[in-house]
Amino acid sequence: MPLVEDSNPFAYPAPVWTLFRSAPRAGGFAPGTPGVVTGEAQSNAARSRLRLQLRFERGRVADARFRAYGCPTSIAVGAWLAGWAVGKDVRELAGLSAARLRKELEIPDHRAHCALLGEDALRAVLDRLPEDPSP
Amino acid sequence: MSAVIAPATSRAARTIYLDYAATTPLAPQVLEAMLPYLRGGESDPLLWANPASAHGPGYRARAAVERARAQVAALIGADATEIIFTSGATESNNLAIKGALEFHGALRGSRRAHLVSSRTEHRCVLDSCRYLETQGVRVTYLKPDALGRIAPAQVFEALTPDTVLVSLMWVNNEIGVVYDIPAIARGLRERGVLFHVDAVQAAGKLPIDLREVPVDLLSLSAHKIYGPKGVGALYVRRKPRARLAPQMHGGGHEQGMRSGTLATHQIVGLGAACALAAQRLGEDAVRLAQLRERLWQRLASALPGLHRNGDPQACAPHLLNVSFEGVEGEALRASLPELALSSGSACSSATAEPSYVLRALGRDDELANASLRFSFGRATSVEEIECAAQRVIEQVRWLRELSPFGKDG
Amino acid sequence: MPIYFDHNATTPLDPRVLEAMQACLGGPYGNASSVHRYGRAARDAIEAARAQVAALVGAQPQEVFFTSGATESNNLALQGALATAPAAARLLYGATEHPSVLETAEALRAAGRAVEVVAVGRDGLLDWAAYETQLSRGPVRLVALMRANNETGVIQDVPRAARLAHARGALLHCDAVQAAGKIPVDFDALGADLMSLSAHKIYGPKGVGALVKRAAVELAPLLHGGGQEHGLRPGTENLPAIVGFGVAAELARDELERRAAHCRRLREMLEAGLRRLGAVTIFGDSAPRLPNTVQFALAGWEGEALLMALDRKGIAVSSGSACSSGKGEPSHVLLGMGWPRELAFGAIRVSLGPSSTENEIARFLAVLSELQALGAAA
Repeated sequence: MPLVEDSNPFAYPAPVWTLFRSAPRAGGFAPGTPGVVTGEAQSNAARSRLRLQLRFERGRVADARFRAYGCPTSIAVGAWLAGWAVGKDVRELAGLSAARLRKELEIPDHRAHCALLGEDALRAVLDRLPEDPSP
Repeated sequence: MSAVIAPATSRAARTIYLDYAATTPLAPQVLEAMLPYLRGGESDPLLWANPASAHGPGYRARAAVERARAQVAALIGADATEIIFTSGATESNNLAIKGALEFHGALRGSRRAHLVSSRTEHRCVLDSCRYLETQGVRVTYLKPDALGRIAPAQVFEALTPDTVLVSLMWVNNEIGVVYDIPAIARGLRERGVLFHVDAVQAAGKLPIDLREVPVDLLSLSAHKIYGPKGVGALYVRRKPRARLAPQMHGGGHEQGMRSGTLATHQIVGLGAACALAAQRLGEDAVRLAQLRERLWQRLASALPGLHRNGDPQACAPHLLNVSFEGVEGEALRASLPELALSSGSACSSATAEPSYVLRALGRDDELANASLRFSFGRATSVEEIECAAQRVIEQVRWLRELSPFGKDG
Repeated sequence: MPIYFDHNATTPLDPRVLEAMQACLGGPYGNASSVHRYGRAARDAIEAARAQVAALVGAQPQEVFFTSGATESNNLALQGALATAPAAARLLYGATEHPSVLETAEALRAAGRAVEVVAVGRDGLLDWAAYETQLSRGPVRLVALMRANNETGVIQDVPRAARLAHARGALLHCDAVQAAGKIPVDFDALGADLMSLSAHKIYGPKGVGALVKRAAVELAPLLHGGGQEHGLRPGTENLPAIVGFGVAAELARDELERRAAHCRRLREMLEAGLRRLGAVTIFGDSAPRLPNTVQFALAGWEGEALLMALDRKGIAVSSGSACSSGKGEPSHVLLGMGWPRELAFGAIRVSLGPSSTENEIARFLAVLSELQALGAAA
């Protein structure tokens, strides 16, 4: 049987697998970094937690980081959100839905909670946003 | 700012197979032995004949079946007449447990019946027990201690005057714990209680001599000992005779205990696999135990927060089961695509539920789920163990680093 | 070269089937239930085989459940269907069914279930009047009727039996082990709710079979544990055998007409020869029969003796079903058809295959003629 490296043997959706394996923007900003707003969400049922950190400059996201504990899909959701958020303003951020996340990452029905986790983490960031996020 | 960089994906193009407890490859000698019964022999082109047929080719196929029966018997110190061929361990366990209870009149409510088993048995034993409960049989499921052990005294204390059968596995398929079957068997014989042992993971790994160990019924599987899938055996003691009600009727094959055309090539394969296992027993056991300890040492010296599941003092040589703190189980398994291994028994690994065996040992859901079962076989090399250890260490560190728990930024 | 005229007992593995099996016998396929890539490859192979088997009998892949063979399939159908029905609902089964049906019925009777034999006529065909009367006498859970008999090759009118059964709210189980690959078998056209198949009767491996089941039919499993085959048949899948079964089913479908025509031509040659020998009874010859099967008795010869004499000449035939041979009992099939014991004791079954030749038929007839002369001399 040909054994190709890193060939997604568990048949995750391709975007999920790629983001899980490379996890761009994983990590966090040093405490006290100016302009950073942190949001966190967790789903008890699925035992997963997602922390999203967005660093704002003049009303737009200049950089982003995430940390995640959970299944590969929830990790991929964090990675995708962090990448997507860069360059967006608050209005654009607020427009993101779990449905969009599911579409982008090809998340199947039984993993829908992972997309909700992403939406919740982003909401948590927006909720904690000061009136004027740019310092 | 702290950045977490995912470990480079493996350049190793080969998967490392560490799931020998789920199934083993066919040994070349076994395949060689099977082929004449699939395509016909060179001097005897009709060896594929039905072994129940009353003509020359049928008799010669039957002779091959009987040679295989003797080989199976030899591996476990039994007599050939005590071996019944089945379609595999699931059927052997079903036949032993349901057959014994049915024979003793338990299923028609003509007799109160009690069965003793444990919470960490194979799914097919537990499901057979649960079926019997629906038929009015009372079942005691013994609870192992935190190391997965069940003391012989625990078994004897569970007996009641109605106990028909005790069914326990010799080696646990998930954690490798070895029960003290000889002591339990002797105690049950003294008390006159029938004893069934699922020896699927013990055969070929530990010496089994049923002349010394008074087990009444014992299940074997071919594909866990480098034989073919689709065939197993049930040992049924003759003296004193263990009695069973057949579960599959028609044709009267296998002393009426298991009807159906005998699959000669598979039975020959089981026989050859048993002969090979008997020959390699000591050598395999020593080498596998060394691999197991090497892997554990590598992991435990590099990573904190590890839990070795099962009693390391009474553990089958081919199994190592480890729970990892601070990582999620599915992500852990997915992060190791180059390792073919299970989180528990193969039969339950498609579901995301944490292992019921680890739960029975008192592990919480989180740790029961974040576990890996490594199982080794004849082809496992030291290099594979080193490579697997390195991959696991890298990935566990990465997933822990990625986790938001306990981190400010 | 030995002559093999026992294709209803078992068939040789088609080399193309062996080739497909060897790829997974030797290869690093895993336990199909394991989640890793080896396990996934195994699962894909099993699903491909399921589609191939389904196609042979015009069923949907999800209606096909793999078992260890036809005996298990028949046990599962009968035991499983009765276990999910009220205690009063009966089992009806034909008098000439396979031992795996007869003995399962006996076991059910011993367990307190009502089971009834439906008579057949001298030609082996179901006694329709008796059948309708039995159907009308109260609830029936299941009717078990084979499509083609393993000894005589007689083909039952299963669609008619199914219509009558359904009209009374009963299910129909059809043992199609001997029919599959020899005549067209269509699950829907037969009107069956359950159907048994075996691989080793269609040039596939021993140790694997299937039960075809309509989704709406509720069955209790025979084996417990593991959840494979949707819980209906747990246990690690016998991958090489299942793959072999799939290929055998595909070949049987592709080559059915050619195989049947070949066997029919040789069988006609054989029967013409037998009639020329005289003092021969051919069983079921007025009924529709499988193209490859002839069961006959030669006056003055006891079946087992004739079998042994033929065996010494290198000719493998059967005196009845392989399962019951060597028991010193005459064929229950012929007794069920109402033939006298003496004649039933004399029965010999010849079952041909695509590799059978005219030369073999000629040699067989010559040997029979010699033996007949001997018998007459004795």
